[in-house]
Amino acid sequence: MRFTYKLILFFLLLIWCVGIFIEWFIKFDERLLFLLPNLQKAYSLVCHQDKSKLILFNHVATLTCARCTGIYLGLLLMSLILLFNEPKRKLAIKLLFVSALPMLCDVLLYSMNIYSYSKPIAFSTGFLLGSVGFLYLYAGLKKLIQEL
Amino acid sequence: MKKYLPALVCGFGAGVLQIVPFLKSFSCCMIMPLAAFFAIMLNQRATKSREKIPMKKALLLGLFTGLFAATFGSILEILITLITKHNDIISTFPELQRMIEGFPVSQEIKTEVLKLFQSVRDDILKNGFSILYTFSILINNFVVNTIFGMVGGLIGAQIINSKISNSSNNF
Repeated sequence: MRFTYKLILFFLLLIWCVGIFIEWFIKFDERLLFLLPNLQKAYSLVCHQDKSKLILFNHVATLTCARCTGIYLGLLLMSLILLFNEPKRKLAIKLLFVSALPMLCDVLLYSMNIYSYSKPIAFSTGFLLGSVGFLYLYAGLKKLIQEL
Repeated sequence: MKKYLPALVCGFGAGVLQIVPFLKSFSCCMIMPLAAFFAIMLNQRATKSREKIPMKKALLLGLFTGLFAATFGSILEILITLITKHNDIISTFPELQRMIEGFPVSQEIKTEVLKLFQSVRDDILKNGFSILYTFSILINNFVVNTIFGMVGGLIGAQIINSKISNSSNNF
């Protein structure tokens, strides 16, 4: 895939991830406060935004839960890595399911009260799925560009 | 119209599910990508196709699933607000006030932001409708749902194509 397309994809993901951390950026530009309720509504479409599951730091929180934040940061990191590298081999679809397994197990186990919700576990399982998931999104986009 | 039926059905389902708070806590960000995946699967079954799905077709199916989800989701949300004169903005307004007061910004900006959302709240309580709220719903739903739908379409197509490859290799 051409570097320009990869760069556009990276910046789109970066904008999405910056939106998740908008509360941190408000102290740098107070006009961003006008965007906050609208962004909360936008991210509510893709996340339950349960207050107890948001990542908190210095009295401000992410707009998505720890798991979703992990997924999107995983997507972002992999898009950054693939800016300068290209996957060498075709990916087996099993890898996607294997990367989703820790997340599914985590959801199942804390739903059954085996343990209580853990933000680091939710974040890391989401991060794994996000980073692997990006490889498939990238492969799909590459095939799409070839078809066009 | 027939070729858009799978996208319509799955988009409608996704649009409705996005409004149900209980279901959102389980499905999180997967509603739209899964809806796009099911739309592609339904399309394969309806056309009885055993060929691999082109990415262009998968992208379009995902896009239309997102568009239909955005349309139905927006209509439902606007209608529910109109009838009940109540929504998440009304219920979370006290929390929003506390949150905005807590930010290290000038009092002038805080007052402006609160004034803006107070006017939205008042419009909804009085008329069940607010232009700003409606505009925000439409923009958010159409942008987010179409993007997630397309992503779901691209990844879903690879899952289905991989199954088709495996079954043809077995023969």
